[in-house]
Amino acid sequence: MTSMSATPIVRMSGIGKSFGALQALREVDFELHQGEVLALLGDNGAGKSTLIKCLSGYYRPDVGIIEIEGVARTLASPQEARAAGIETIYQDLALFDNLDVAANVFAGQERRAAGILGRLGFVDRRAMRRAATDAVSRMAVSIPDVSRAVENFSGGQRQCVAIGRAMLWGRRVLIMDEPTAALGVRETAHVLDLIRDAKRLGLSIILIMHNIDHVLQVAERAIVMRSGCRRGTVDIAGPEDTDARRAIVEMLM
Amino acid sequence: MTSNETAFPTLPQPLRHLNWRALFGSRELVVAMMILLTSLVAGWLSPYFWSWLNLQNVLIAASMELVVAVGLAMVLISGGIDLSVGSVMGVAAIVMALAFDAGFGVPVAVAAALGVGLIAGLVNGMLISQLGLNPLITTLGTMTIARSFVFILSGGYSFSSIPGGFKEAFNAQSFFQMPNLVWMAIGIAVLFDILIRRHVWFRGFAFIGGNETAALRAGLPVARRKVWVYVLSGLLAAIAAIIIVARMGSAFPNTGTGLELRVITAVVVGGCSIYGGRGSILGAALGVVFLNLVANVLVLLSLSVYWQGVAAGTILIIAILTDAASRRSAR
Repeated sequence: MTSMSATPIVRMSGIGKSFGALQALREVDFELHQGEVLALLGDNGAGKSTLIKCLSGYYRPDVGIIEIEGVARTLASPQEARAAGIETIYQDLALFDNLDVAANVFAGQERRAAGILGRLGFVDRRAMRRAATDAVSRMAVSIPDVSRAVENFSGGQRQCVAIGRAMLWGRRVLIMDEPTAALGVRETAHVLDLIRDAKRLGLSIILIMHNIDHVLQVAERAIVMRSGCRRGTVDIAGPEDTDARRAIVEMLM
Repeated sequence: MTSNETAFPTLPQPLRHLNWRALFGSRELVVAMMILLTSLVAGWLSPYFWSWLNLQNVLIAASMELVVAVGLAMVLISGGIDLSVGSVMGVAAIVMALAFDAGFGVPVAVAAALGVGLIAGLVNGMLISQLGLNPLITTLGTMTIARSFVFILSGGYSFSSIPGGFKEAFNAQSFFQMPNLVWMAIGIAVLFDILIRRHVWFRGFAFIGGNETAALRAGLPVARRKVWVYVLSGLLAAIAAIIIVARMGSAFPNTGTGLELRVITAVVVGGCSIYGGRGSILGAALGVVFLNLVANVLVLLSLSVYWQGVAAGTILIIAILTDAASRRSAR
């Protein structure tokens, strides 16, 4: 948790964004360190989704600079954000319920067969199944049968597939939008384990979360937003860190 | 060849990692077993069933529908539907006959028929994908328009000036005493079955039918791919028209009337979902064979052909019932 390199993997400085008369973001600074799990908190309308959408390429900020590993970038589209190594996992997970794990993980960038068949556009299904199995098996949630359609999976298993996809595509920053919302106790524990796994496997993670208990369990730091501004930052020592909890609640009020 | 379904030898997954649960949940296997069962019962009830002539008739009738079913299966997998296929067949058949009538040779006539399929598919695809119209209503419209064109072009008459060499090419029995058109239909089905499972471009249909938003996020050209699926469906309907004209030796204005619903029934029985994303060409093919088999059994047992609809409809409802039940239990 302390091995943060000097340059943050993501630095956003002076980000401003307005929608007509509504100023959604005012001069917001934001930084995500290498290998960090950061929670982004704030009420509805505090600007956290707008900030995240600037980072994932859905919005262009009116003012401000976005740097990825110290290099300034204009993330003009979600594709550009992805190419810069930033993957967003939405609440709906954007999975193909009708398809198996391998198809989900490799959707849009299928692994081609060797030789002439591959050049003709044929995929290597066995290689994709192997790589997908490998990716999901490195995580805490077990998927008994990767050849089943993901519609049969639990919430935790579905998150596992979504994270596996982000990792296999070589993303380094993972934005997770309310990953524990609408999950039961056991599933929530699984998803929190998955977040720790993703960190262990080298991803830097931004969590948008409402539940402070969950934040304390996985995040090392929290940034709290309010009315389009950054209200403050809290370092989190662990699930029992009552000072951090009090500080976060105060900032949210 | 011991039974009809051996014509489609590809199992959905290799036998070496055989998954019994997936296997018994697989619609393809269930329909294949139904085909086997129906064949056994039919053979027991009627001595004519296993006669080569009878099996030939079943397969010939099935193969025209099979070609249309391949296209419809892809449309359904991509989350759409195409009601216009039967009428497009009608226009393609008449246009081809008109080309022959005007003294053109086989290449021009075939190209004209395929052109009809291409244009119909482009119109459907553009309206649905670019203007965002509902596929069911859009193709209901183009179905009505196309059927009207059939009568405008033909004046209600049928054409029989089909060259003998053309008919011969499709009806000659080169292998296993089965007309070439049956082999062509099987070839088309096998080809698209492989493509839809293994080819990057064709796999896109299942992504779009499964979750359009996710397909967009994965970078798929969703709108363009949707146009293409209707173009393929139109082209395959035109190929079916070419086959049927060659078989009959004439082009009738009622070619393909009601065929769209028969084929949709078969394709859904074979496991394609009308909600998109689910199904296979193999399943669609088995569905077509099964329904044709049932129709054949009714004829052999001298039951009135009027009962065919009752049989097909009942099978369809049982199929979607078991589908709903198995999905509920899978949760």
